[in-house]
Amino acid sequence: MHKIICLILFITTTLHAQTKMSIAEINALKEKVKTHAIETKTISSDFTQYKHLDFLSNDIITTGKLAFKTPNMVKWEYIKPFKYSVIFKNETLYINDEGNKNKIDIGASEQFKKLNHLIVSSLKGDMFDDNEFVINYYKKQGNSEVHFGSKDKKFKKYIKVFYITFDSDGDVIEIKIIEPSNDYTRIVFSNRILNSSLPDEVFTH
Amino acid sequence: MRYLLISFCFFFVGCASYPENNNFIKREISDLVLKNTYFSDKQKDYIYKATINVNDKPFGGVFIVKKIRNNNHRVVFTTEMGNKIFDFSFINEDFRVNYILEDLNKKILINILKKDFKVLIEESPLFLNAFSSNNYAVFETKIYDKRHYYYTISNQIHKIVRSGKGKEKVIFTFKNTDNFIANLIKIEHKNLKLTINLKSI
Repeated sequence: MHKIICLILFITTTLHAQTKMSIAEINALKEKVKTHAIETKTISSDFTQYKHLDFLSNDIITTGKLAFKTPNMVKWEYIKPFKYSVIFKNETLYINDEGNKNKIDIGASEQFKKLNHLIVSSLKGDMFDDNEFVINYYKKQGNSEVHFGSKDKKFKKYIKVFYITFDSDGDVIEIKIIEPSNDYTRIVFSNRILNSSLPDEVFTH
Repeated sequence: MRYLLISFCFFFVGCASYPENNNFIKREISDLVLKNTYFSDKQKDYIYKATINVNDKPFGGVFIVKKIRNNNHRVVFTTEMGNKIFDFSFINEDFRVNYILEDLNKKILINILKKDFKVLIEESPLFLNAFSSNNYAVFETKIYDKRHYYYTISNQIHKIVRSGKGKEKVIFTFKNTDNFIANLIKIEHKNLKLTINLKSI
């Protein structure tokens, strides 16, 4: 009997680890994140990416650095276990793959434009667009986890839903992108510095 | 008459088999074993940084192979940022496309990739003949009805050549190998502008 009570308590606690937010809490979060997004001029951060494929024994772990400068310059730089960087700048995607440089004009591609917009908005956390997404808000271990399900049919083929986790200050600490197959990519940010001076050279190809 | 003779010579040289063109010496097969073990460890996640050159345009990604169980491999390619490009299953003689990016969903491309990856994961290909060439023991095999020549030293595969009309069509080279992994793999197409370089990470 004692064991059953313990089990019930355990299940209840687990369920409560992720609870839906109230309307007031949602509005407070939105407000905090939006103010943050307006104030954010630059972001520099380390990141660890976990690629989860169900059939693998372990997630594929890659680490690197992220730089963002307003209005829309983004650099993802993978450092380990390979050197690869991608810069989104002026409607162009600049790739440096272990020294092999390449660029792609994204102005022509609607899909890439969307991707860039998504990256910039999700870095700043400011993407609470109910016209574009079905959004659900949860409280999880002192943080806020927001689930975005795209309403766009094309987009849904690539990404079923993605989660953005905000800490209590409204900073993005984790992004999880879930594919239709339920395989996912989880990116965890650390050593995040806001509004430090980031020279344009950081974003040079 | 002389031109006719030369033409005939060309015709016959042109039609010679790959072993003939490369002066292979036929040998007994009783003492030889052929097994491709480079993707055969079920405990291992085989992860490679890939660079693919198509029509002189390079693009990169992460190439993943997992042996799920005997005669069952999963082959997946993602971008460095984690987006899946394609996801294939090889189960016995069946081939299944679990996912492929819409823009790449072309039968001709899938067929090329299917044939190349089958060579990588096939552990015991249909064995036809054995030859000697320099220091190599060369095995003639058939995969998807095409002849493949496995160049081996001490049962370790160094190179596989897919031949057509007696010539090299695709060359697979394996470097930095031990029994259960080839750390560097190159797949080079001679009839297409396509090269795949894989480096284990």
